[in-house]
Amino acid sequence: LMLQPSVVATKVVCLTQVVTPDELKDDDDYEDILEDMRTECGKFGTLVNIVIPRPLPSGEMGPGVGKVFLEYADVESATKARQGLNGRKFGGNQVVAVFYPENKFSQGEW
Amino acid sequence: NSGTGGRKRKSRWADDEPKPVIQLPDFMKDFTGGIEFDPEIQALNSRLLEISRKLQSGMLLDDRPEGARSPSPEPIYDNMGVRINTREYRAREKLNRERQEIISQIIKKNPAFKPPADYRPPKLQK
Repeated sequence: LMLQPSVVATKVVCLTQVVTPDELKDDDDYEDILEDMRTECGKFGTLVNIVIPRPLPSGEMGPGVGKVFLEYADVESATKARQGLNGRKFGGNQVVAVFYPENKFSQGEW
Repeated sequence: NSGTGGRKRKSRWADDEPKPVIQLPDFMKDFTGGIEFDPEIQALNSRLLEISRKLQSGMLLDDRPEGARSPSPEPIYDNMGVRINTREYRAREKLNRERQEIISQIIKKNPAFKPPADYRPPKLQK
């Protein structure tokens, strides 16, 4: 029942409880969120990739909706980002930042 | 000139407000990832890695030259007449003891630490 603790540092940081499906459906909102993430999260190091899963056009919730994945060039940047972002507020939501397994990320397992 | 670029928009990120300091109980520390940054634990971990590498590498554990060594203890033989406490054996035992000791210390600092399978907790002494 215990959640797997994400104590192992990786290059990928996952922000949970960040965005709502409604904002993601709207293209403008989505672009804004992407830009905000790029700006703020780029302060910790080189961002290689940002993935923000969106709901399917049918309205169906795909996997990972509500999460934001940040892939950094190195573990040090990701570590700084995890520490710096955890507990910050984004759009009024308190962000929880955890490391995410690199292999799962690269396989698109959200 | 609408759309991209010069659009002034407030970021959704709240200003860098001081983070609420939440003191987590000790047993939670393992889940927050905070404990691995403890310099003492880091030092213990790196020594543990070093020892484990040495033990597994098969390299000569005591490579001090003849002159730099202190006198050997009296030999101990097994019932086949083979010496047990060779220099290599003693060096290996010494590293093993240090390894067990380090693991005990890490566990003391981080009860959630999962020791390697061959770790045996020290016997409690009366």
